[in-house]
Amino acid sequence: MSDELVLRTSDLTKVYGNFTALDGLSISLERGRILGFIGPNGAGKTTTIKILVGLVRATRGEASICGAVCGRDTAKIKRLVGYMPDVFGSYDNMRVFEYLDFFGAAFGIPRRDRKRRIDECLELTGAMRMKDLFVESLSHGMKQRVALTRTMLHEPQMLILDEPANGLDPHARVEMREVLLELARRGTSLIVTSHILPELARICDTVAIITGGKLRAFGTLDQIMRTVRHSRVMEVVLGDGAAVAAASQVLAGELGGTSALMPSREAAEIRFTTDRDDAGLAAILGKLVAAGVRVVQFREIPMDLEDAFLSVTGQTGAKPTDAQSGAKPAPDRVPSAVGVGA
Amino acid sequence: MIPILARELTAMLRSWRAVALQIGFLACLGALVALRWPAEGRADMGGMASRQVFRIFGYGLLMGLMLVSPAFPATSIVRERLQGTLALLLNSPITPVSMVLGKLAGATAFVLLLLVLSFPGAAACFAMGGIHLTSQLGALYLVLGLLALEYAALGLLVSGLVRSTDAALRMTYSLVLLLAIGALAPQFLLKNAAWAGEEVIGITRVLASLSPVPAVMHALGDSGVLGADDSGAVARFSIGAIAVILLCVTLTTARLGSRPMDRSRDAGRMTDELSPRAKLVRRVMYLWFFDPQARSGLIAPWQNPVMVKEQRCRPLGRANWMMRLIGAYFVLSLLLVLGATTLSQSQGVIGVLSAIAIMQVSLVVLLAPSLASGLISAERESRGWQLLQMTPLSALTIVTGKLLSALVPLGLVMLATLPAYVALLALDPAQFQTAMAIQTTLLIFAVMAVLVSAGVGSLFRQTAVATAVAYSLVAALCVGTLFVWLGRDAPFTPRFVERALVPNPLAATLNIIGTPGFADYRLTPGNWYFMAAATICGAAIMLVQVGRLGRAR
Repeated sequence: MSDELVLRTSDLTKVYGNFTALDGLSISLERGRILGFIGPNGAGKTTTIKILVGLVRATRGEASICGAVCGRDTAKIKRLVGYMPDVFGSYDNMRVFEYLDFFGAAFGIPRRDRKRRIDECLELTGAMRMKDLFVESLSHGMKQRVALTRTMLHEPQMLILDEPANGLDPHARVEMREVLLELARRGTSLIVTSHILPELARICDTVAIITGGKLRAFGTLDQIMRTVRHSRVMEVVLGDGAAVAAASQVLAGELGGTSALMPSREAAEIRFTTDRDDAGLAAILGKLVAAGVRVVQFREIPMDLEDAFLSVTGQTGAKPTDAQSGAKPAPDRVPSAVGVGA
Repeated sequence: MIPILARELTAMLRSWRAVALQIGFLACLGALVALRWPAEGRADMGGMASRQVFRIFGYGLLMGLMLVSPAFPATSIVRERLQGTLALLLNSPITPVSMVLGKLAGATAFVLLLLVLSFPGAAACFAMGGIHLTSQLGALYLVLGLLALEYAALGLLVSGLVRSTDAALRMTYSLVLLLAIGALAPQFLLKNAAWAGEEVIGITRVLASLSPVPAVMHALGDSGVLGADDSGAVARFSIGAIAVILLCVTLTTARLGSRPMDRSRDAGRMTDELSPRAKLVRRVMYLWFFDPQARSGLIAPWQNPVMVKEQRCRPLGRANWMMRLIGAYFVLSLLLVLGATTLSQSQGVIGVLSAIAIMQVSLVVLLAPSLASGLISAERESRGWQLLQMTPLSALTIVTGKLLSALVPLGLVMLATLPAYVALLALDPAQFQTAMAIQTTLLIFAVMAVLVSAGVGSLFRQTAVATAVAYSLVAALCVGTLFVWLGRDAPFTPRFVERALVPNPLAATLNIIGTPGFADYRLTPGNWYFMAAATICGAAIMLVQVGRLGRAR
């Protein structure tokens, strides 16, 4: 990994008639890093990707990959980028090897190197056993592997993968994750879109959250979590369900009316939200113990990418974030309170 | 059956193409009748004019139904499969037989609607006199109705068997051509053969009864296609058509009832992985080059990758299938020469040259649209276009590769018919100039058919539509203009007929040969210029379309 910027977009905008599909996107990515590009359906992810690979022309702004300007240096971009769309794009009656041979030849990989390169990529994606199979007979997961192999053939500097884990079983998802991490280790930069956010959280160094064509958050996962998190969700597990009432009373007295308490007698636990720091939480724990409540666990519920996404997109009620450059808050989506269910 | 019928018919009638088809159909029929409608208070009491119009009207309907009837059913089941709705249908309480009958009724109802639209035209012909209501008009509509049902059933059967819409259309139109024209060939070739006994002639008559042409000719009052008046043609065709309909419905029902989704494409065992001995046996068996289970070699630097890709991804492009097709046409052309020896010397050369020319033109009509029309639309439909756009290949490389992938197999199959010419020239060397002129016409026609199909096909998103339009265009050029020729005595003047025939490559070829009925016109080199211009237009459309699709939006 290095700090060399591979991708840079500045005020990237795409307007179709009266509809703004993408509004002033500014992001960047270093070599060997993985950017998770997330957003709800119709958020502008695919438009962004298509601008980057040169299939769509930006209305305003600029994007460059390794110094080549997207939409202008089309020939260079094609060699620098490996693009895997969300559909496979299969050809009937062709075996996997023939399919890859065609794309290898189309990218001008010399014949003497092509077979070795195809085998290497098939090996890396775990698709070697599919080499002689007919493309149309492959399952969805197998096709995803072959598509990834095709994308890597010409050794691009950057891979842009649209929903690579879509339709994969858990085992295949783990393998796909390993492949992507290995590619990043080898210095390839990746942009990955996915709706499976926990999966994305495991591989991404950087995350960009986009809704309605606007960038809502951009930064490392930690940066986004820190900014999104305006309050902490705590969980107190008690020795016995009968103590829930007493503990609730103590907590209500300590927290006042500003936090929501979610007691569960059956689970013998209470969850609450608070903005107190660690010292403040230690004081609350002290009060509970002093009141004779038998506390088994007192812990913070960690926030994950899914929570952050829902929070940023305004679907649960956290404030939007502007963790880094280019990110703009969305005043129209500011919720009133954090709500995390038990 | 009713829900399927309602859905099929509604979906068909809702499309703008169906409306356009109905309006176009009505306009053609109206123009035809208006052309010979008595003007200035004078009427032809002998019914001659009426019979002339009725002939063109009948043949026009026959041609139209042959093109339209199989088009919708041929893509019906295969499209359900590709869209994933076949699984939903099979998972519903609707039985396979209801499904097939519903689809058949839906497709036929649309064609019957077109037939009903032709009633005013037929009534006008009848009103002009000279036409018998039951033995001519009734017989014509009976044959056409059965024909619509038969070709729809055939289309449905093919649709249930294949995996892509363009393959379904290609196979269905091939079968329609085989049933309509091919079924007549044995009787035509063997009618004068001394060695053919009563039994052989009987078999050829049964085969000929599968074609609607003799029945329609009889209904229109023409002498039989094989020279003699064929009074039982309508009855024989009706029996044959009902048999074909029942067979197709049974087979399609059986196909849908036998878990059609429970199929996988077995990759087979690669020859390269066999023991050295087994490998040697396979290599010898497939003459080394044509083994479908051998691993393909890498695309060479001198090869156009798009051409190789296109050839590999269609069955006909594969060497083993290509060799089978070439072999079949090689044998067929030699059979035609053999047939020539059974004819008298004076009829022989012209008759066989005409038969070979018709076979070659049919070959181009059959193969060129199927090879070329989906070159761009199939790519767009399978979403492979986006991937192609992401490669450094230029629009010119893509267009060249795609066109070569259609021209090379077509050229190879055409070459397979050349031995017939060699055999004929050995019998009559004076025909050399004629043979060269025929080959020139056919060569230009083949190139034109590929480029026009590719150009027109590139304008459509769906391969099925592109293929159907390309077939209609090429068939209309070769057969459609012949309807004007049918009216060469009246209502059309010889000058008008000649002008109408100039674009027709079949007419031009028959004109070069000197086939009776075509010998008096002057169709070349005008035909060559027309085809060259059409070729350039087709290439330009395709190049512009590829350039347009390749640009960032």
